[in-house]
Order: sequence, then structure tokens, then C-alpha cells
Amino acid sequence: MQSNMEQIFKKLGDLKDFFTYGQKLAPILQKIIDFMQDTVPLLETVNKSIADSTSKMPKAAHQINNVTSATEVATTEILDIVDGVMLDLGEISSQINSFQVKFDKQQTLLVKIAEKYPRDEDVKKLIMNEFDSKYFSDDVKDLSKLVSKINDSMMNITLSLQVQDITTQQLLSVNHLIQSIQEKLSSLLVDLGEKEITAIDERFNNNLSFNPEARYEKNHSSQVLVDSLVEENRSAASQKEIDELFSKR
Amino acid sequence: MAIKFLIVDDSVTMRRIVINSLKQIGHNDFCEAADGREAITKLVSDPSINFLITDWNMPEVSGLDLVKSIRSDSKLSSLPILMVTTRGMKEDIIEALQAKVNNYIVKPFTPQVLREKIEQIVSTTPA
Repeated sequence: MQSNMEQIFKKLGDLKDFFTYGQKLAPILQKIIDFMQDTVPLLETVNKSIADSTSKMPKAAHQINNVTSATEVATTEILDIVDGVMLDLGEISSQINSFQVKFDKQQTLLVKIAEKYPRDEDVKKLIMNEFDSKYFSDDVKDLSKLVSKINDSMMNITLSLQVQDITTQQLLSVNHLIQSIQEKLSSLLVDLGEKEITAIDERFNNNLSFNPEARYEKNHSSQVLVDSLVEENRSAASQKEIDELFSKR
Repeated sequence: MAIKFLIVDDSVTMRRIVINSLKQIGHNDFCEAADGREAITKLVSDPSINFLITDWNMPEVSGLDLVKSIRSDSKLSSLPILMVTTRGMKEDIIEALQAKVNNYIVKPFTPQVLREKIEQIVSTTPA
């Protein structure tokens, strides 16, 4: 009987401890419930914001593609103009050459006339006036130099347009990244009960090849690396040839 | 040696830049292809092409696949190949050399570098 009572008192003690613990836990639980209540609208806002951003991604990708197309059109136009100028410069160069030829012929003719009338002072004077070969020759040289300088500048413009190909590859890489993020976010939103999100037009990114590391660097440090590796490779080939040569002995 | 170039690049701009550079260094015989598949068709149909300048990143058949395909074809295997690409990482260069490109240029390039590499290839290629 006594042991039964002891057990009852022990159980009552445990129950009291549980209630005491429960009393302590109640405010914490209340705080958790309050926090959850505050968090739900926040999570809904985050969800809406992600959905909103995700739905805007196809437009962003489309705009990037528009930029790529526009720069390609602009680059082609610049190249057309540069080609036109270079063609004109070629024409000017050949005109200068033909002037030079005509002038040389004229010079020869004047020399012959002078030789035919060695005592005629009037002819001599006339020839001296027309015969300013040094002046003409310097002019032709200056003009040729100028044409060559403009030609070099045109070529430099052409070479600088390589930036279009390099930036196109960078933009394709950005688009690929946007598409990957959009796909992941779309699948997350579908899991959270959102309706299907519009995907990025596959035409833009499918079947495209690009180098995400493409850089427009004019210091040519990469070319130095290439040259050393090509040289190493060539040496290795030579060694192979030497080995083959020795094996034939 | 008269050289007829095939320039392979999916970028119209780059093809024009390569052609202008070739003209600048005195070459005037070339044709173009926009990817590896078109390049193979042109190489097969035009035996006078005796030098290939190719990009790496292209749709359909890439430049590297084009090189491998050419090197494994008994009729085309000796064709001189110069790769002109934006890929300047060491592993890329090694991969291209292992695929047996004759030389390699990293964009942006100059006509001087183009001339130097073409001359190097021509001087080491049997006639």
C-alpha cells in the first residue's frame, strides 16, 4: 500500500514537473507561432517576387539577343563603309601612280626638246618653268604617304571590329546563364504551386556555341602562350623524328 | 605556291575581317563556310582549296570536330590548318594541338600575326 502511494506521489511529481516545463515552454511556442504568422506573408512576397523576376527573364534574354543582332548589323555597316573607303584609296593610289608615269613621260619629252634646241633661250626658260620635278615628286610622295596612313587606319578599324565577335560570345554566355537560372526557378515555383512559367525562347540558345572566357585583350599575352606551346609541340615532334631516325640505324 | 583559303567562321564579321587581313598581306584567293559541316562539303567539292583557317566555337560541327574529321580523312588529312579563336586557355591550345592543327591564333589578331603563322605553316608543309 505504502509503495503504491509512493509511486502515485512520484507520478504526481513528474506531472508537476511536466506542467512547470509546459508553462515555461508556452511563451516560446507562442513566439514561434507569432513568428510563423509574420513570416507567411513575407514568404508569399518572396515567392511573388521570384515569380515576377522569373517571368521577366525571357524578355531580358530577348533584349540581349536584340543587342547582339543590332551590333552585328552595325558592324557589317561599318565594314561596308571601311571596304568602300579602302577601295577608293586603292583607286587614288593607282591614279597617283598613273600621274607619276605621265609626269615621267612629260619629263622625258621636255629633255628631248631641250636637247633639240640647245641654243634657244626661250625654249630653255619655258622648260625650266614647267620642269619643276622635285616639287611634283615631293607632292606625290606626301600624297602616297597620306593614302597609306589612311589605309592603315582603315585596317585598324577593321581589326578593332573583332570586338563584336568577342562580345557576342560573352552575351551568349550571359543568355545561357539566364536560361539556366530561369529553368531552376521555374521548377522551384511549380513545386510551390505556381502555374507554369513562360520559358525562354529556345531558338535563342539552342545549338549555339560560345566561349564564356572570350576576352578582348590587345596585349596578346594568350598568343605568347600559344607560341610557346606550339614551339614545345614542334620540338616534341622533332624529337620523335630523331628517335625514328636513330631506330632505323 | 598559290594558296586558296577556306575561311570557316559562324560570324560574318569575323569572316570579313579574316578576308580583309588576307588581302592586306597579299592573298586574294579564298572561299567561306559558316560551320564545320559546310566546310567539309566545300573541301570535298573544291580540291583547289589548300589552306584552312577555322574558328573553334561554331554551331553544328565545331572547329575542333572539323579538324578531327579532316585529319581522319585520307584525302584531306594533309591539309594545312590554322585555328583562329577566342579560346586562349592552355588546355584548349593543347587540345587543338593534339587534334593536329598546324598553328593557332588567339583573337583579336593582327595581319602581321596571320602572315607569320601562314608563312610558318607553308614553310613546314611539303609541297
